[in-house]
Amino acid sequence: MMLGYYLDLALRSLKRNKVLSALMMLAIALGIGASITMLTVLHNLSGNPLPQRSDVLFHPQVDPRPADLPGASGEPPDGLAYLDAVNLYHLDIAPRRAVMSANWLPTRLDAPDSPLAMRTDRATTADFFAMFGVPFVYGSPWKAQEDVNHAQVVVLSQALNQKLFGGADSVGKTLVIATRIFRVVGVIGRWNPQPHFYDVDDVNDGGAFADAEQMYLPFFTWLDLPQDYGYGSMRCWGNDPNAGQHNPKAPQCTWAQFWVELDTPTQVDSYRSALKQYSAQQHQLGRFQRTSNVRLRGLLDWLDYKHVIPVTVRMQTWIAFGVLLICMVNTVGLMVAKFLRKSGEIGVRRALGASRRAVFVQCLIEAGVVGVLGGLLGLPLAWLGLWMVRQQPVSFAASTHLDLSMLGAALLLAVLATLGAGIWPAWRASRVAPALQVKSL
Amino acid sequence: MRTFRQIPPIVAALRSHKTAVTLLVLEIALTMAILGNLVFIVYGTIRRSHVPTGVAESQIGLIQSITVIGEQSRGTTAGDLAALREVPGVTHAAYGGPPLWYVERDPVFLDPSRQHPVAHMYEFQGSEDLSRTLGLHVVEGHDFSQEELPVLAKMNMSKDYQYPVLVTQALADRLYPGGSALGRVLYDGNAAARVVGVVDHLRGEITGRPDDDYSMVYEYVVGAQNMGGGFMIRVDDGANLPKTLRAAAAALQKANPGHVQNKLFTMPELREKYFRSDLATGRMLLAIILILLVVTALGVSGLASFWVQQRRRQIGMRRALGASRRDILHYFQIENFLIVTGGVLLGAVFGDALNLFLMHRFELARLPANYLMVGAIALWLVGQLAVLGPALRAAAVPPVVATRSV
Repeated sequence: MMLGYYLDLALRSLKRNKVLSALMMLAIALGIGASITMLTVLHNLSGNPLPQRSDVLFHPQVDPRPADLPGASGEPPDGLAYLDAVNLYHLDIAPRRAVMSANWLPTRLDAPDSPLAMRTDRATTADFFAMFGVPFVYGSPWKAQEDVNHAQVVVLSQALNQKLFGGADSVGKTLVIATRIFRVVGVIGRWNPQPHFYDVDDVNDGGAFADAEQMYLPFFTWLDLPQDYGYGSMRCWGNDPNAGQHNPKAPQCTWAQFWVELDTPTQVDSYRSALKQYSAQQHQLGRFQRTSNVRLRGLLDWLDYKHVIPVTVRMQTWIAFGVLLICMVNTVGLMVAKFLRKSGEIGVRRALGASRRAVFVQCLIEAGVVGVLGGLLGLPLAWLGLWMVRQQPVSFAASTHLDLSMLGAALLLAVLATLGAGIWPAWRASRVAPALQVKSL
Repeated sequence: MRTFRQIPPIVAALRSHKTAVTLLVLEIALTMAILGNLVFIVYGTIRRSHVPTGVAESQIGLIQSITVIGEQSRGTTAGDLAALREVPGVTHAAYGGPPLWYVERDPVFLDPSRQHPVAHMYEFQGSEDLSRTLGLHVVEGHDFSQEELPVLAKMNMSKDYQYPVLVTQALADRLYPGGSALGRVLYDGNAAARVVGVVDHLRGEITGRPDDDYSMVYEYVVGAQNMGGGFMIRVDDGANLPKTLRAAAAALQKANPGHVQNKLFTMPELREKYFRSDLATGRMLLAIILILLVVTALGVSGLASFWVQQRRRQIGMRRALGASRRDILHYFQIENFLIVTGGVLLGAVFGDALNLFLMHRFELARLPANYLMVGAIALWLVGQLAVLGPALRAAAVPPVVATRSV
């Protein structure tokens, strides 16, 4: 009952002072528009790349570095050296596991005069597809046995299948990859998790927001290829930074990514102790100089640790909140002015028996109405802002869009911001001394 | 003088609006703090995007041509380069990569023990004619002569061999402050190098740091190898670069059919791509700057119109007592100037604090004072612009208002 009356009063008051009300709403709308735009970008970029599976995916790390490496951080390297990649891959205690790396390879159709082109690829093992929930349009992943046999089989992305085979079912067709004949066993559907969590330093343009690769080959087959096309995002320690350039087996170079699926906390615990055990064993063998420096991060922890959100986006989010703060200060100023102007009216209401609390609530409701209207006006602005972001030629831009939860957040933020801005002016208004005001009328 | 005499009564009047004035000053100060830092970032990006690499950018094109390993091919690197040099319009060609394109960066040492790197430098390496293809300017010593270059096929990796190299002036100054670099020997991770010449500039990347310009160039004579990687051409006339580059790519493919050509681009295209995302960020920040100025203008003009309405009676009295319209107009303009000045002064402090935070968190450089000045001037202008409407309305208040009760 009272609420309806207050709403009516608020709308009347806004109408009476159209210019001031419009200015307030526009300021709120701009602030909300700017901050929701940047928040949405941040929200999209820090989203969960595999919501259904992120809980069971883990990223093991071990530390083969010398004990006295100048300037080395305490964290183990992101990737694995060749020997650790092979050893951990053969540590058969996780339900699923996949070792992987990436580069590009000269590829053509298995037909005379077919033109060669460099295609991005991921070399991995059979579990990759089931573990990451990769959908297949045609065929299926290769079998674990084919990893063992170094089989020359390939899984194509939908885009590459479109390019090479016009989108037809190409299972059983053959390709020439790095001079060897490969048989297509499957074509995957649309699959492009963002961020590109399984290899955040992807060597292909775009880093953590790189596009998924064009084709997938069995890891050990890939290592056999006559190639010198790089071995993923390789890091080496020691004097020669290019030690592993022509030799992926160089002991001082890490370059392979490794992921395991662990379905229960017990599995996680036992895998962690297995990692420690492995590390201790390598230490005993004299290969590892550091004892038990292992990590087993879950997918989301891993993304968090790797700071995949571009620094410019984080900075812009801070700046957008600065803009919102300025808009709030602006609103406080305008509301003080607005409520002070109504001093006479408030004095009359107080003299007629309205309590301070009633005046306060009524002023706050007026602020809330400004917030809702400003927020509603801010939504198209945020939409416009995101449209502008999408026009930008940066790797993450394409994945930004406004979803329902962000729409709700925008409105909520607008109302909270204006209510926050309205508290003090409303409190001041409720302190108006009735006698003074009534006298001056 | 008349204008200045107005100041004391304006200040006195402002005292009775402490709340609104404080809020306005605070808003202007916050705007100024953010504005100064944003202008700094945006201007820094724009300035960086115009820093030259030191090579003849408008004349250089690159063909990334990759050897298919394991495939029989009759092509040789010497043959590839000869084919490129025969393309009409091409003046120089070399195996090697240009700046801004995956240039290797290695530590540099002054003694063979390689214990303490003095700096990190970009290493440009490639076939004979690399420095002329890049169009480097030798300012001291001499450019490579064919006789002194090592022959790749016979290159012995003995640790005694000293490659002839060119270094940039900036690297020379860093390694040998106060002395000449000519004839000196320096070391990278693998080999020793003897400086034969100093070039004015060669930036491996453009990040804005001084060590962008720490570079070393070395050449070797190629022969019957079949190397893949970057093949650069330099043309006589930059206007024909795209056309000549396409012709060169066709010639290279013909000379060496065993290669895959993956990328073809000109230096201007590379530069555009290199700065694309930074400039995009700059545009987004520019949009935020505009939003800030608009919001502040809204706040200023909103409060000003409120004050004008509140003071209609006083304005009428002043007009009745002989104040001109111009006096009233000036009153509000000066009042606004005083408030904005207060905000600007506080904003300078805020801006500096914000800069310290951004330096700490985002590795931003120290904000020079003149950027705060830019913010201040922008705010003074916006303030005056925003107050003009309400002030004109105030000036239009007729004296007769004084005689009516509000």
